[in-house]
Amino acid sequence: MVSSCLSNKRYTYIHENENEPTRGAIDIHHVIINGSRATGYARLRWLAFFLVGLAILLGKDNPVRTLSWSCLLSGFFVMIQSRKFVKKESVIIMPTFGIQLQTQYLSGKTVSRFIPIGKILKPVLVECVTPVTCYWSLSLFLRGEEQLTLVFKELRPSLKMLVPIWKALCAVSGTDQREMMTEEEHVVAVECKEYNELYQQMWCQPNYYTSKDKIYSVTKSSKLK
Amino acid sequence: MAEPKLRVLMVSDFFFPNFGGVENHIYYLSQCLLNLGHKVVVMTHAYGNRTGVRYMTGGLKVYYVPWRPFAMQNTFPTVYGTLPIVRTILKRERITVVHGHQAFSTLCHEALMHARTMGYRVVFTDHSLYGFADVGSIHMNKVLQFTLADIDQAICVSHTSKENTVLRSGLSPGKVFMIPNAVDTAMFKPADVRPSSDDVITIVVISRLVYRKGADLLVEVIPEVCRLYPNVRFVVGGDGPKHVRLEEMREKHSLQDRVEMLGAVPHSRVRSVLVTGHIFLNSSLTEAFCIAILEAASCGLLTVSTRVGGVPEACTLFSIHTFLLWYYRMTWLCLLSQIRMTWYEQSKRRYQYFQVLTRRRCTIE
Repeated sequence: MVSSCLSNKRYTYIHENENEPTRGAIDIHHVIINGSRATGYARLRWLAFFLVGLAILLGKDNPVRTLSWSCLLSGFFVMIQSRKFVKKESVIIMPTFGIQLQTQYLSGKTVSRFIPIGKILKPVLVECVTPVTCYWSLSLFLRGEEQLTLVFKELRPSLKMLVPIWKALCAVSGTDQREMMTEEEHVVAVECKEYNELYQQMWCQPNYYTSKDKIYSVTKSSKLK
Repeated sequence: MAEPKLRVLMVSDFFFPNFGGVENHIYYLSQCLLNLGHKVVVMTHAYGNRTGVRYMTGGLKVYYVPWRPFAMQNTFPTVYGTLPIVRTILKRERITVVHGHQAFSTLCHEALMHARTMGYRVVFTDHSLYGFADVGSIHMNKVLQFTLADIDQAICVSHTSKENTVLRSGLSPGKVFMIPNAVDTAMFKPADVRPSSDDVITIVVISRLVYRKGADLLVEVIPEVCRLYPNVRFVVGGDGPKHVRLEEMREKHSLQDRVEMLGAVPHSRVRSVLVTGHIFLNSSLTEAFCIAILEAASCGLLTVSTRVGGVPEACTLFSIHTFLLWYYRMTWLCLLSQIRMTWYEQSKRRYQYFQVLTRRRCTIE
């Protein structure tokens, strides 16, 4: 049953859980790209036209043969690229058992990864800075792994959509939460002092931050409440 | 009615973990603004593996944008390349004022240009003096004219620096404020027990060993002073390309026991090195203000400096008797004080960051 739904220009977030949540009930969070099929092929349409035009310009001797070959190759290129078009990413939370991260592609292929509950140290919301933009992402610290594991590998949902998923993961992994109210924003800070060594090892990793022995996951959730 | 709180974005290519005057200035100014309740965000380029968002003391948020430096710690200038990330940071942090630092920082120029394009209030602080004759300076001055064409206010650290900035950029002098740099007097305090000056006089030099900081002058002066005064020893802290020349000088004149080379000194240890000496020597070829003199005077040392740039201003503001000496083709400006604690108290009164900050805040508002 759909308990909440958030939508923006690019993504739609759907939360499915039981009508009366019981202990051990499965919690499912979906993030779906809006208009995924049209958006995905539209991106490659112009590239295909460009390739065809370029081929016609270069192959003036026999334009019919060049046109047919270029259409064939462009179509083949579009088909290969379309395998990477993501339709939906889901997080299925099974309390006391684990979580499953699913990515469903336009071609119908689904890639899943199961993470046992014992392997999850804590979920964190981190700000990822690229040369052109900065976005929030939800990641997991896992035992025995040096790198953070992204919950949503392909999609970049907004902070509003990530916060309820992060809260649900915190509840499942048993991470202690403390809320700090500020004047302007509702900040949820998580302290995890027992993970000092792991954080020190990851000091130089990009896209997350530490401050001595604490990690802060800061969210702006004022509009959600 | 409560004063409206500002949300300031400090932009510069020069920030921690790189260490220097500009970096310290940005950090301490940010801390004071945070203490007053304003929000401060710093934007700089990535340093090695240090990319992403970091939080420093007091909740100072630092964006290490993954643009690699290409020359002298500067981001590669792309004019519009940094527009997307600058706009993203300005929007998500709801910035009200953009404060750029250092004329030599390409990231600062680009951020100021984009911020003005988007209608933000912009302030620029110039920390150094530059020439007019060489190719690099001519190019830099042209860029500066372009960037500062329509900023709201500019800040310089001395009257000399203000004159230099106004001439280089073509700004109206009425738009340029002079607010001197400050020193953290809580950190730079004289030692409880001053080192004895009966047997040995210790002269301390702490600077980057580069041409601009007069390292070549040191190579000339140290052997001469050691020859004339057998009871003088030197302590040289800092590192740079001229380190080799100083080592050669030590070898040539057999001064290993009288000239101690400390190498790079972390900022946290600078005070402990300063309080071991009696005299601080600054041999810079050009200085807009010279915070090192302030730090040394705050620690109770006699300070000797080349009379360049804004150094006389920094010295005369102490209101202490001064006299000039000509020695070995250098002009020595000596600061005299009978009571070293007077310097500390004076610098504390005039140059504490809080007082300087109040002047800066008035500028921004």
